[in-house]
Amino acid sequence: MNSLQFLGQIATLARWEVRRTFGIMGKSMLPAAIILFVLLIAVTGFTAERGLHLQDGLYRMGVDDPKLATIFGGDERFSITVRDSVSLVEHRADYDIVIVGSQAYVQRNDRGRSALKTLQRDYQQYLDSVYSQQQDLFAAYPLWIDLLEVKSEIDFSATEAGQTISVSPASTSPPVPEGPVEEIPEPDPGVAFSAEELRQGLQESLGQQQDQLARYSDLVGPESPFGSFKTPSQLSPPLPFDSIILVFLFIFPLYFTSQFYMMSIMQERLERKGEVLLSTPAGAPAIIFGKALPYFIGMIAISAGIALYLQVPLEILLPLFPVILFFLANALLIGMASRSFKELSFISIFFSTVATSYLFFPSIFANVHVISLVSPLTLVVLTLQGEAYTLSQYLFSTALFFLTSATLFYVGIVNFKEERLFSQAGIVRRIREFVSTSLSERHPWASLFAMNAFVVPFVFMVQMLLLVLFFNLPMPLSLVLLIVSAALVEEIAKSIGICTFLLERPHKFPWAKVVLGAAVTAAAFLFAEKLLLFVTLTQITESVFGSILFLSSGALTLILPFLLHFTGALIVASLVKFRGSKGYVPGIILATLVHCLYNGYFILGWML
Amino acid sequence: MNFRNIFLVMKKDLSGLGKERTIVLAILLQLFVALFSSFLMVGLTSMYDPSSLARYSGVKYQVGYVGESPDLRDLLQRSNQFQVYQMDLSTAVAALTERKLSAVVYVPDTGIDADDPVKITLYSLQNDIQSTIVNVQLKEVFLDYEEELRQARSGRLNLIPVTVEFPASRSSPGFYEFIYGLLIPLLLFMPAIISAALIIDLVTEEYQHHTLETLLSTPMTMAEVVWGKIAACLVLVPVQAGTWLLLLAINRIAIANMVEILLLVVTSSLVLILIGALTALYYRERTAAQFIFSTAVVVLMLLVLAFPRNPLNLIALLATDSAGMEQWGILAGALFMCGILGFITHAYSAKVSTRAPGE
Repeated sequence: MNSLQFLGQIATLARWEVRRTFGIMGKSMLPAAIILFVLLIAVTGFTAERGLHLQDGLYRMGVDDPKLATIFGGDERFSITVRDSVSLVEHRADYDIVIVGSQAYVQRNDRGRSALKTLQRDYQQYLDSVYSQQQDLFAAYPLWIDLLEVKSEIDFSATEAGQTISVSPASTSPPVPEGPVEEIPEPDPGVAFSAEELRQGLQESLGQQQDQLARYSDLVGPESPFGSFKTPSQLSPPLPFDSIILVFLFIFPLYFTSQFYMMSIMQERLERKGEVLLSTPAGAPAIIFGKALPYFIGMIAISAGIALYLQVPLEILLPLFPVILFFLANALLIGMASRSFKELSFISIFFSTVATSYLFFPSIFANVHVISLVSPLTLVVLTLQGEAYTLSQYLFSTALFFLTSATLFYVGIVNFKEERLFSQAGIVRRIREFVSTSLSERHPWASLFAMNAFVVPFVFMVQMLLLVLFFNLPMPLSLVLLIVSAALVEEIAKSIGICTFLLERPHKFPWAKVVLGAAVTAAAFLFAEKLLLFVTLTQITESVFGSILFLSSGALTLILPFLLHFTGALIVASLVKFRGSKGYVPGIILATLVHCLYNGYFILGWML
Repeated sequence: MNFRNIFLVMKKDLSGLGKERTIVLAILLQLFVALFSSFLMVGLTSMYDPSSLARYSGVKYQVGYVGESPDLRDLLQRSNQFQVYQMDLSTAVAALTERKLSAVVYVPDTGIDADDPVKITLYSLQNDIQSTIVNVQLKEVFLDYEEELRQARSGRLNLIPVTVEFPASRSSPGFYEFIYGLLIPLLLFMPAIISAALIIDLVTEEYQHHTLETLLSTPMTMAEVVWGKIAACLVLVPVQAGTWLLLLAINRIAIANMVEILLLVVTSSLVLILIGALTALYYRERTAAQFIFSTAVVVLMLLVLAFPRNPLNLIALLATDSAGMEQWGILAGALFMCGILGFITHAYSAKVSTRAPGE
């Protein structure tokens, strides 16, 4: 079959798919969908106008001055009562906060303290609103800061993630730079903006402070409308709030569309409908890609439409492209693997939540930290903010998505046949079948090598998620958790291939081959790890966190990490060989323990 | 209506769920969401609250100070967080790029009560978590300095704000609002959403797997089948929500009015489940039903959240024991909705076709 024929088949299947989807469902669904869509837009506007009312009336406050009631009345979290001061003091137990004679009194409990904090923030906002109306603006805002960012010439990743910069040797003389000193011109003491411009900007950013998210943390400040020019209270890193909302706008349609693909694959398996398709000369790749094509085009078109509507550059599609592939690849496998609709729902909700966290949470830190680049959505945020990114940054954040999507599509294609599609085995069993089919009977070692090499991108992805997750915890705890979970993930990943062989064809694997299998696994893992690190991950591997995750590929030698991988794989494989599938969990635990000890030893050696 | 039949359908669906075991994923999912959001929250706050991180105490950040004005330098030194070096600008910035300093502050000699503002130039490292933390600490000092300057210029203010004196601030963890106002309502409503998605799967599955005819060939009516499935989904709600309440209590998060909360969660869930059941019966096909339903739920949720005293808000109030009598009104409203939707579902299930669309 030549490639033209192949493309022709894909086109035909894509046309069928479109006719099927819009033929049966379209007619009944379209009217309701249009009405809901219009409603959605209307309701979004309405709710945005009114704000989300989740915490209304959480605190009770009593004040003796009606002026205070108007000042704080804008915050729905307080239900405010105005009474005279005598009865307020008498009934003070009824309130979380009482303000008598411009002095605030607070209940000594969690709610009281929380109320106080909220009230102080509100008061600060009130002060700001008064100050921004002062005739003499520079009396109210006497201090302005111009924040200039300097690029460090030393590899910036060296201090990422918690290593301290220049731990103070408590010297009294100022540090002397070693390199050449470049002449820096003295900054101009004058202000580049007029007082009226500044006033307007301040009042605008006051409005932004009402953001729902900013309630919970002092971390994210309002963004200064003057770029690097800020008042002291705007010095916290700005949260790219608007951009993140926009990113949601891009991702949701993708998520929904991939659901349709998932369902379309599932539909072929209902009542063995897919048999007809499988009996046509079109092979599995043509069927899979043909079915995916309309949804792929749809997703690209929707994204492009949104981009045009928002008037953002179309480059925004570049980082979205791997995300689309990733969603489709996962939809394919979920559609192929689940036995019932319930299972489909549970797995797909689970997958999409985890994927969304992986994609979203890093992008919140887009302005703060390089780690945010693990998510392609950070690039979307950067594009929305009008900032450029480099090719290596693009590779860094998308490589894992491209690799994992390709692997998943491959697994889908080799398993797209009758005995797999119409089997009703349990999910774990099915996954094992899928893996086993992807491993070649004739070239067991080669396929074991390939499988372990291709599992590495997934391992990296999971570890990245762990990194983002644990990154926020205080230092010793995050290190311990990271050591243990990273080891666990690696051991599970390495065990998949060899244990599938052992469980599916036990008789073909005497002990000598188990050892050989463990060696192949270790070699493949090491090889892929090295390769991937070399291509992309240099950005974070220098940090403490990076060294835990990828320590085994550290700069020591090749022998030690090889031995580590080998031991881990051998432990699990031996226990499985010995006790069958019952030996798997103890094997994983034991291997993880060994892995942790190894990592712990080197980390401790590193740090002491 | 035969309650035995309803019970049988419910048992069949629940045991089907139990057999597949993938409901574990749904529970894991909720755990994941809770973990992730609290990690994020706790992490964010502690990262920017230097006192909560032992490893930062005792470490002084080295700051290059360029300029003559002594006020800010004194403030920096007094804060005990910084080692301040008087330097010239070019050397200081060069030292910064070599990471021998954590920040460089340039202060012009604008007078403390000059007409113009004091414009400080702060040099910091780009894209670096450490310099973000340094900046947040510098911000505290700058705010003090701003206050000092404001005092010096206070005679020039024409609008005097109302003063409120606050008690000396005790360190507060600051998670109260997050836990009660966001986490608890979300966690308790997740089972409702999951159950509502489940009813669609349960109903459409009978159609698309052609098992409905078999089921109806027994002396069961369609309404009994539908109510059995609704019951199966509804039973899961208090079990999950109750587990959440228990877990939170174990974590020493006190929750008041647990019974009322469960009551509210169950009735609101029933509303969603009934809407899901109606959608499923109307489309009799999963893709369309799930799509329409999930869009409808988003619309409904957004709309409901736009009004104060909505069920999610009420959960927050109940959990903190600040709800008034209005809670009973809302509960009655939800029950009334259940009644109407239940009646429609009952009537509709008697009429609806027993075949999947297009057949």
